[in-house]
Amino acid sequence: MTTRSRSDEATAGRSNDPPVLILTSLAAGEKHGYALLQDIEEFAGVRLGPGTLYGAIGRLEERGLIEAVGDSGRRRPYRLSPAGAEALRVALDGLRAIVDEGSARLARRPAAGRSPTGSPA
Amino acid sequence: MSPARMAARLLRLYPVSWRVRYGDELETLILDMSGGDRVPWRIRTDVAVAGGRERLRAAGLGGDSPDARVRGGAGLVLWAWALFVVAGAIVQKTSEHWQQVLPAGSHTTATVAFGGLIGVAIAAAALVVAGIALTLPALRRLVRDGGWAQIRRPVTRAVAITAVFIAATIGLVAWAHGLSPRDRQGHDTAYALFATAWALLGAATLGSWTLAATRTAACLTLPGSLLRLEARLATAVAVALGVIAAATAVWWVSVANLAPTALTGSLSNRGSAFVPQLVLAMVLMLVALGLAGGGARRATRALPHLAGDD
Repeated sequence: MTTRSRSDEATAGRSNDPPVLILTSLAAGEKHGYALLQDIEEFAGVRLGPGTLYGAIGRLEERGLIEAVGDSGRRRPYRLSPAGAEALRVALDGLRAIVDEGSARLARRPAAGRSPTGSPA
Repeated sequence: MSPARMAARLLRLYPVSWRVRYGDELETLILDMSGGDRVPWRIRTDVAVAGGRERLRAAGLGGDSPDARVRGGAGLVLWAWALFVVAGAIVQKTSEHWQQVLPAGSHTTATVAFGGLIGVAIAAAALVVAGIALTLPALRRLVRDGGWAQIRRPVTRAVAITAVFIAATIGLVAWAHGLSPRDRQGHDTAYALFATAWALLGAATLGSWTLAATRTAACLTLPGSLLRLEARLATAVAVALGVIAAATAVWWVSVANLAPTALTGSLSNRGSAFVPQLVLAMVLMLVALGLAGGGARRATRALPHLAGDD
């Protein structure tokens, strides 16, 4: 009988959250720390620090969302686990819902130069 | 400083268990990112902050899930209460003779404030004891299910420090028995030094049990209803600590106005209202209030995100 958070299922809710970025990067294949940082900077434009990266790696590994490949090594690669792939799907669905809602609201906005009430600005 | 040395120094900010698992990899990454030059400040800061966060997690005070935020928040309040106990002991020592030094019938505000702080301190202690007692069934389950290994180190450390403290207390009492009241008030330097070391040991004992409690709490399986209750108890303790700090300040100002020499901790008529021990106690209280406020806020804000009991 334990408590579980609603956000536990989705890992994170923001596109720049380190866990989401790491899971997204590992979705393309296994990588070690430095390769992860380079990939994340390339696809998201976010420069994670090494402490932040390994803090998130620790958390993700603890929850079984990623796995270390091999037993030891100073540049140990990580890969996405099946549970990690599912968590990434849930997180992306959440982000997609925000993107869809934001896009719909933007589309409903009055044309430029008009106030929200419809009168000329 | 060479990058390798800086990386090794930064890694020492992390708990040992974390270093054993990720230390080599993080050290290599820091060196790779530094490219053989000195480690940039951006990286140093990031690693230092992350190391602090891991230390908090290792002490049972960190974590991102709502469950961990409630436990961590309540743990911070517990640490704040422990600091208040230390500050309270200092105030108690400083206030030993204040009523005798004040003019008769002139200390109503001081008396009310002092009585209030004693009453609220007892209430806060009762709330803390209740919060701990509520987790005892979960602790029994943890130990029964083989979880003793997870909490053995902090608990045995606390027991060892307590044993040393008890031995030191017996020695101090025996020593004090053969001294005059004047020598016990600080005129015997060796005794004063031993008494100071004993007081520090007492604070270390309290700290070791607080650490054992927060680390143990992080290992317990607690139902959502109990976590909610713990969050509310933590909030009540934080409020009580605020009242104690305010009452102490009122008492201090009141006594200082009536008789500045009353706060020297002795019957001497020399001294000032700004007794260093009281200043230290107030600083400890303010630091603890910050911790308690932050902890209560963290626990309370996590409540809406807690799922119900499974």
